[in-house]
Amino acid sequence: MVLNALKKIASIVKAIFRKRKNLKIGLYGPVNSGKTTLANRICLDFLGEELGKVSVVPHETREIQIKERVTMKVDGKSLTFNLVDTPGIATRIDYENFMRYGLSKAEAKKRAREATKGVIEAIRWLDEMDLVLVVLDSTKNPLDQVNITILGNLDARKIPFIIVSNKIDLKRSNTMRIRNAFPNYDVIGVSAKTGAMMKELYKMILKKI
Amino acid sequence: MLKIKLVKYEKLKSMLPSLFNDLMHNTIIVVDAKLSPEEEAKLIQETMSLINEKFPGIELGSIALAQIKDTSINKLKERFAEFLLGRKMGITIIGPAKIVKRIERHPEELLVYFG
Repeated sequence: MVLNALKKIASIVKAIFRKRKNLKIGLYGPVNSGKTTLANRICLDFLGEELGKVSVVPHETREIQIKERVTMKVDGKSLTFNLVDTPGIATRIDYENFMRYGLSKAEAKKRAREATKGVIEAIRWLDEMDLVLVVLDSTKNPLDQVNITILGNLDARKIPFIIVSNKIDLKRSNTMRIRNAFPNYDVIGVSAKTGAMMKELYKMILKKI
Repeated sequence: MLKIKLVKYEKLKSMLPSLFNDLMHNTIIVVDAKLSPEEEAKLIQETMSLINEKFPGIELGSIALAQIKDTSINKLKERFAEFLLGRKMGITIIGPAKIVKRIERHPEELLVYFG
């Protein structure tokens, strides 16, 4: 109990004295929620180039990807940061699932091996973040254990975050369900694919950091 | 054969290696507390390091009692008990991904699906 209290104090102190240089904004979330699509959208909007490859095959992003010195300019305000795209967090990775997308057994096994390492790395990087965008697929049940674990860890480590309800361009999208599930947190609905509501997200980031 | 093992939260850390052995052999672990978010993250990291062809991981579900007993008085009681015991009142279910298809978390319940 004392150890937990000390850990909490340390994280609060860390949050207060967090360096303002080399700010890191991390993209976290479950697999296939659109983290890399969002990272690409942010990079395209402010750098004119994409960050990473996207795919329907789960665990396309298996390593931490960083785009350095992204300068976000919105309504006369600006912020320079490093954008960190992380592999999707999961509790299970079955290579046989990848084979359903046409991967060979060897490719699927390799992808699974790399994906497990990616999840470990993503969690390890959490403490490095100054702000996290928790990217959730707005067509899915938000009360997934992975989401709860990510949000719980951000709360416990006093890392500021915004819940990004992604894929609002889809018919089954339901941002209200996410808002109802997490009424105490900042939630914004966007479509990283079409760019809808991105300016509002940028304003929220500038306000939050 | 499917087994269910009830584990005391206080014993969880010391039992972790044997619990993973259980998980690899069709045993569902039920812990008599809600794990902290940090403990859940560590459990996920540990799971990832052990995944192989035969063990595709786990399904994890946890819920705090304070979330189930939703009245303010009950929440206060739970918080006080948590302060005294140093653990979060609730339940955690950890199942092998091979047999637990998913654990659905609702505001007041956990549903375990096999398949």
